Amino acid sequence: MRPPADTDFTSRLRSAAVTARIGLWLGICFAVAFVTGLISHYAQVPDQPVPFPTNPSWGYRVTQGLHVTSGTAAVPLLLVKLWTVYPRLFKRPPRGLRRLAVEAAERASIGVLVAAAVFQLASGLANSAQWYPWAFSFRSTHYAVAWIAIGALVLHVAVKLPVIRRALATDVDSTEQDRPTATEPGALSRRGLLRTTWLAAGVAVLATAGGTVPLLRRVSVLGVRSGDGPAGVPINKSARAAGVTATATSPSYRLTVAYAGREVSLSRDDLAALPQATESLPIACVEGWSAGATWTGVRVRDLLDLVDAPPGHDVRVVSLQESGPFREPVLQSNFADDDRTLLALELHGETLAIDHGYPCRLIAPDRPGVLQTKWVHRLEVQA
Amino acid sequence: MTARLVTGATGLLLGAYGAWLLLSRQDSERLRDAGVWFVSGVVLHDALLAPLVIALAALGARLLPRPARAPATVGLVVLGSVTLLAVPVLGRFGARADNATLLDRSYTAGWLLLAGLVLTSVVVATVVRARRRSTGAEGRSTDGPSARR
Repeated sequence: MRPPADTDFTSRLRSAAVTARIGLWLGICFAVAFVTGLISHYAQVPDQPVPFPTNPSWGYRVTQGLHVTSGTAAVPLLLVKLWTVYPRLFKRPPRGLRRLAVEAAERASIGVLVAAAVFQLASGLANSAQWYPWAFSFRSTHYAVAWIAIGALVLHVAVKLPVIRRALATDVDSTEQDRPTATEPGALSRRGLLRTTWLAAGVAVLATAGGTVPLLRRVSVLGVRSGDGPAGVPINKSARAAGVTATATSPSYRLTVAYAGREVSLSRDDLAALPQATESLPIACVEGWSAGATWTGVRVRDLLDLVDAPPGHDVRVVSLQESGPFREPVLQSNFADDDRTLLALELHGETLAIDHGYPCRLIAPDRPGVLQTKWVHRLEVQA
Repeated sequence: MTARLVTGATGLLLGAYGAWLLLSRQDSERLRDAGVWFVSGVVLHDALLAPLVIALAALGARLLPRPARAPATVGLVVLGSVTLLAVPVLGRFGARADNATLLDRSYTAGWLLLAGLVLTSVVVATVVRARRRSTGAEGRSTDGPSARR
């Protein structure tokens, strides 16, 4: 039995005219995921040369929702696109050393592109369902491979530009750029295959996006979260998982606010006795789910005033949890000084559930969920 | 041509930056794991998934009556790709006993509902196409390539 050759694939659906059209939308999905991914990554960098904006308060909710949604929509697009070009894998190598070198380089770049694309979609989907079947660091690897994927994509577009241009300028049924053997009609027309691909991408989005688009909640049968939870808001990390159940409910709990040698210690009752503010701020997680919520608590700015901390200082927010990469993130000064930033005591008019961060949690506008620190016990104003 | 060269060089630089990020930020053990995952995706697609789809298509072309082929293809693309991307929720691998708000749907029931909808649509479309074909065949004796869609 001889290995298959590209001439063995006879369907006329495997045509550059189809590939280019799906590739256009796949490229758009990857571009959206790349840009929104960069935004999310920057939002989590502690030292920001340009402060991450606090407006609009729903900004991160939208960008991270788009990030996961565009990645989900890309799965059917990538699968069908790879199907249309699969015969090229079996193309016989050309004669001549120079041609062979060019061919090898192109194949290597395509290999990197496909590997990076599949890796990004698979690792991203697993992460959105909080499944980590690997030993590598998700955040730094997903970030690094994103650059590899987008670099390989840009290179691929540059290499294929004449083919793409001609394909998009002519009718989808044009056979101008087809392989000579790709003549057999398939079960579907080319237009039918394109419509099927758009349909699959649409179904994929509808079936999963309910975790971030409340309207789709009932339709998204494959969504990672139904949106239920204490006070109608899901949680990412429970008090038990964080190991804070005892310390968070202890009567000796105190919140300490510190600045330049001055310290103020407040019990939860003390916090509740301070002037309260109510703000509508979404909680939006890096995993892509989000929920609108109404929080009541003390303005962080009011707490900083207790120790006479002037505006313009970053604040280290320390959680009761004893370990974890986000135990004590930095609240940049523009967030600390924003009037909407609260140390919340209530969610939707109910006492904060322990899994939502009782005794108190940080909630700021336009900020990734991992940085909305729960079980806060120290606010240290940085010098 | 210059624009293409500049674009291509930009792509190379972006990719090289990613490779440097990947190689410089983790210890060798984690890096090896990342490498295995990086290569596995493309290998699993090219050596397993793609041949499997081709085999399924060949099987469908042999077993299915002609009016069912197009609807079945649509059903395979929709249900197949959505099932693949739903593997993490269908397996509930990330479920945690201490967090009832995570993976809190009945995913098997959800998938069965979706599969049922797809299957029903395929059957309905097949019946409609078969009827149209039998009534259309009386009027036309020649069956051009366009009728094979």
